[in-house]
Amino acid sequence: MTLENEYAILTSQLVKNYGDFKAVNNLNLKVKTGEIYGLLGPNGAGKTTTIKLLCNLTKPISGNMYLLGKKVPDRSVASDIGYMPQETALYDGLSVYQNMSFFGEIYGLSKEKIKDRVNELLKFINLEKWRNELVGNLSGGMKHRVSLVCTLIHEPRILFLDEPTVGVDPELRVSFWNYFHQLKLMDITILITTHYMDEAQRCDRVGFMKNGELIAEGQPNAILRESKTDSLEDAFLKFSSVELVL
Amino acid sequence: MNFKRTFAVTKRVFRDIKNDKRTIALMFIAPIFAMFVFGVAFSGDVTNVNVIIVNHDQGLQTPNGTISLSNNIISNLNTSVLNIQYMDDENAAVNQVEDGKDYAVIIFPENFTKNAYLGLTNPSSGLNTQITIRDDESIPNIKTAIQGNVASAITTTIQNQGIKSPVSINFDAIYGQNAQFIDFFVPGIMAFVVFLLTTLLTLLAFVGERTSGTLGRLLSTPLQESEIVSGYAIAFGIIGTMQAAFLLIVAILVFKIMVVGNVLLAFLVIALLAIVSQALGILLSSLAKREGQAVQFIPFIILPVFLLSGIFWPIQAIPTWLRPFSYLVPPTYAVDANRAVFLKGWGLDKIWPDILALIIFAVIFLLLAILYLKRRSD
Repeated sequence: MTLENEYAILTSQLVKNYGDFKAVNNLNLKVKTGEIYGLLGPNGAGKTTTIKLLCNLTKPISGNMYLLGKKVPDRSVASDIGYMPQETALYDGLSVYQNMSFFGEIYGLSKEKIKDRVNELLKFINLEKWRNELVGNLSGGMKHRVSLVCTLIHEPRILFLDEPTVGVDPELRVSFWNYFHQLKLMDITILITTHYMDEAQRCDRVGFMKNGELIAEGQPNAILRESKTDSLEDAFLKFSSVELVL
Repeated sequence: MNFKRTFAVTKRVFRDIKNDKRTIALMFIAPIFAMFVFGVAFSGDVTNVNVIIVNHDQGLQTPNGTISLSNNIISNLNTSVLNIQYMDDENAAVNQVEDGKDYAVIIFPENFTKNAYLGLTNPSSGLNTQITIRDDESIPNIKTAIQGNVASAITTTIQNQGIKSPVSINFDAIYGQNAQFIDFFVPGIMAFVVFLLTTLLTLLAFVGERTSGTLGRLLSTPLQESEIVSGYAIAFGIIGTMQAAFLLIVAILVFKIMVVGNVLLAFLVIALLAIVSQALGILLSSLAKREGQAVQFIPFIILPVFLLSGIFWPIQAIPTWLRPFSYLVPPTYAVDANRAVFLKGWGLDKIWPDILALIIFAVIFLLLAILYLKRRSD
């Protein structure tokens, strides 16, 4: 089995600059199928740019990217991925149902399938009563929930979630993560960025990014052991000066 | 009222502007642009109107030579207003007007000079000293310019001759008989409204798509760039046609405007213009980072079209050197085609050059809009 077929997400020597600023610098990322991989790092570390590169929203300067064994950009992979941006990225003038239905149609789902998925997902995010409410009238947390289910509507095999739990209350964050683990059991691969360290500990593996580079990666407990720290925050600070792969 | 707090608000506004160099530039460029465009384009005088003279008059033989009253009148026509061409075949000349190549045929009958002088000596003879103008009266400014110019040339000639001749003018409209300014105006305003609203709505919608993140989400899906642009084009084509239909119904019911041709053809023109406009809106959105910046484009969208496309006054009233720029503004073709359909009853066989021009604009703008989306601007 070749390397690109072994991993759901694979990048090699990936570089992206914005002018003189190196947003992503020689990034080699390997995420296995069914793995929840958390990208951690301060603002400007390159987490969002990495996701945008993998979702074909910006072009790399150099390097290669593979999703599900296919070299990207490749249109045929688009149906297999779900991208949830940092912004809520919804149409405020459409209702919750209309937003979900629109994205379902874009992925080519049948009317019946859309109906079933909307019912199932609205139940999960507990917004069944808000089904016909305009998204513009929802609270920030509610919008985040709708944004997540719009990403999930077509049952993607890889999920790119850019800070999906910002503005979401703690109770719902827990249910989000329980759902992510359910998805993992279905062999769905998740690449997630987050600022919440408690969430990072629920990832199978995490990667610390700084200045566009991966400075450390491994299982959360292994990172804590190796860094001899109590929290991933402290571990990050420790690794900021020394690069390490566990 | 607390002055300190008020001043803090004022200061905040200036700081905001100071940090946005584009806004500063536009604040100064837009007024100069407006003044330039209005000052240069809005001369108001009609010039270079194509007319044909068919002169059947042989003149009058006198012991001192041949006198030709018709040639004297022609020499007194203002050639900066009228661009004169001569033809012998009256029917062929009228065909030129019917085809829209010229605006009028000025016909001097046989024995015009002879009859004028005979009429002078015998006013009750009823001899024909009538100049016939067969013209396109669909554009009031041009009609007035032609008719006024001929009348003025007659008066000057007769005064110079020191006679009181019974020369009169017979007006025979080929197009636009009894057309009022509103008849001329409505087909133009239909194009203007659709162009303006569609460009602005798409511009704002697309800046919104980008700032809200929906564009990013869309581009990560199997949806292709061409599908996004085409989807918008179909939607705004339909909206533009509906706007035009609504405007037309009001114009017919309230202003009782003249509609000679097939309005469905006019709707086709408007739908094409809407497609051109939405593609232009998408292109312009690439220059704006947020809605506030997009709004600053309004003068640059409105003014050139307002002044150059012949909506409010004919292209013949724009300085000659500026006229080529009119043909770079898509609504010019829509205005021309709509007016031809409404006031002249022209069909596809005659307005196809306008439709072709709009299709070319649409294809170029749509391709550029697709390329812009493909570029994945950061």
